[in-house]
Amino acid sequence: MNAPAASAVDANGAPAASRRETLWHKALWKLRRDRAGMAGLAVVMLYFLAAIGVWLGWWATGWAEVAGGKWEAPSAAHWFGTNLIGQDIFARSVYSISTAFEVGLVVAVLATLLGGVLGALAGFFAGRFTDELVVWLMGVLDSIPFYLLVAAIAFAMAGNPYAMHVAMISTFWITTARLVRGEVIKLRQLEFVEAAHAIGVPEYTIVFRHILPNTLHILLVQSTITFVAAIKSEVILSFLGLGVKDGMSWGLMIAESTIEVLAGFFGNFLAASLLMFGLVMAFNFLSDALQDALDPRQVS
Amino acid sequence: MSAPLLSVRDLVIEFTTEQGVVRAVDGISFDVFPNETVGLVGESGCGKTVTGLSILGLVPRPPGRIAGGRIEFEGRDLVGLDESELRAIRGRDIAMIFQEPMTALNPVFTVGSQMTDVLRRYKGLSRRQARAAAIELLARVGIPAPDRRVDEYPHQLSGGMRQRVVIAMALSCDPKLIVADEPTTALDVTTQAQVLEQLVRLQEEFRMAMILVTHDLGVIAEACDRAMVMYCGRIVEQAPIEELFARPRHPYSAGLLASIPARVDDERRELPVIPGMVPDLLHLPPGCRFADRCGRRLARCDVEQPGLAPAGESRVACFNPVETPR
Repeated sequence: MNAPAASAVDANGAPAASRRETLWHKALWKLRRDRAGMAGLAVVMLYFLAAIGVWLGWWATGWAEVAGGKWEAPSAAHWFGTNLIGQDIFARSVYSISTAFEVGLVVAVLATLLGGVLGALAGFFAGRFTDELVVWLMGVLDSIPFYLLVAAIAFAMAGNPYAMHVAMISTFWITTARLVRGEVIKLRQLEFVEAAHAIGVPEYTIVFRHILPNTLHILLVQSTITFVAAIKSEVILSFLGLGVKDGMSWGLMIAESTIEVLAGFFGNFLAASLLMFGLVMAFNFLSDALQDALDPRQVS
Repeated sequence: MSAPLLSVRDLVIEFTTEQGVVRAVDGISFDVFPNETVGLVGESGCGKTVTGLSILGLVPRPPGRIAGGRIEFEGRDLVGLDESELRAIRGRDIAMIFQEPMTALNPVFTVGSQMTDVLRRYKGLSRRQARAAAIELLARVGIPAPDRRVDEYPHQLSGGMRQRVVIAMALSCDPKLIVADEPTTALDVTTQAQVLEQLVRLQEEFRMAMILVTHDLGVIAEACDRAMVMYCGRIVEQAPIEELFARPRHPYSAGLLASIPARVDDERRELPVIPGMVPDLLHLPPGCRFADRCGRRLARCDVEQPGLAPAGESRVACFNPVETPR
């Protein structure tokens, strides 16, 4: 068999080799070789499984029940001990994982969508009214202190549990939109955009069908960063009493621990801090690895 | 002769810059007939690309605008049509081939998905039919193993192949007119010849007219039936191709032809150059724009602008055209 034929078709007769050369395949290959990134991914998946178990009611169902005495030490029944009123800290901290994931997923997905769409529109129509409007909106939202905005939105929404989601989405899309806008300004001068024009494709189709897919790597990395930011903010907001109200959150546990630590009991504080630390670290490793793998200057 | 497919009359295109309004194209008129290839030749900045873009309504607006004249395609004036009417014409009736094959294809989609997009949009083909049509088009533009290439991404193709894909996409809706803006300039010399040859063959096969915008006289000689020489936003000479090369009338055309390296005898001679510089479009002389660089300048040239006037088989804008004996 001669060489060109061999490279053209593999043993199964399917088109070979060439299909694996896309940006995504290269990125995946690079990601697989990144140990810290893969470890991060594994830890994140583990947390995610824990969250799914909570949603499906497999475990941590008794997080609100009084299961033992006050401030019990860790034991086989209560792995992390119990709190002031005898609730199981382990169940409460595992339940908090699902809270963190719920906030992280909702905020990351919606903020990335919003940032991608608005950023792409602003970039494509740079210098025109749409762009002016989006840039103005970004400037205005950026100028409001975050916690003040959350408090204001929480107040305006009369204690609705989604107030913090709304507050986070309405501020976190800005960074994504800025990045996408810049990339789109770069992309829109390329000839494939002009070629799409020349073949009669409507402008909005060009933005969303032809240009936005070219920013997917930015959106992916940004969404992991937003996810981490959302989890951290959720904990802080809950600690401040602006976040989770009728659920459990690491922030609430840390708030509880403020009295306990003085009394020399560290169960709540350690459980919440360590679990959050693990998740945030793992996510940071993952998003770092994604960023390295998807950086077009290094990939292509 | 039949009715012209495209008829441009007194087209004026202006760009607003910080220094003032620049007339990139200043009152040009020409016709393109069905099935013919017309060359538009000139140096950088003479307005040839803008002329090509204006036919598809693609002059960037702002800063550019069509300040006057008509562009009639099959008797319908394209100037002043709104965006949706233009969209209906783009691709289907008039298609464009761009200069830079490296960026003319979307890097994140396969060749096939970009081509089938167009075919499904305009011809209403099913996914499977569109794919078959795309493969057939790729084969027709001379891409080897098209059934494999169709699933590849642009970066996996060479420059020549990408340009062939771009040509295939332009052909996919059987346009009546193709505007090819420097289609071979970015390719290396051997590929240039192949792509050009293919383009000429396809133009005949698909029975369409083509406007070939280029600065390369060799390309014009090889591919065109007629050529127009542009200088500073105006057409200075319009002639059948043999006539232009055998008997250039305008001193500028003559100068361009003389500056092509040729080895007449063994002696090495210095290449003739056209002296001087292209005038600044913001400060144009009142008379002939070429006057400052012209060896055949008359007193009249400095005060009056020459219009295109018949001279033999050509039309030339010059008061003192070059006479080459037959």
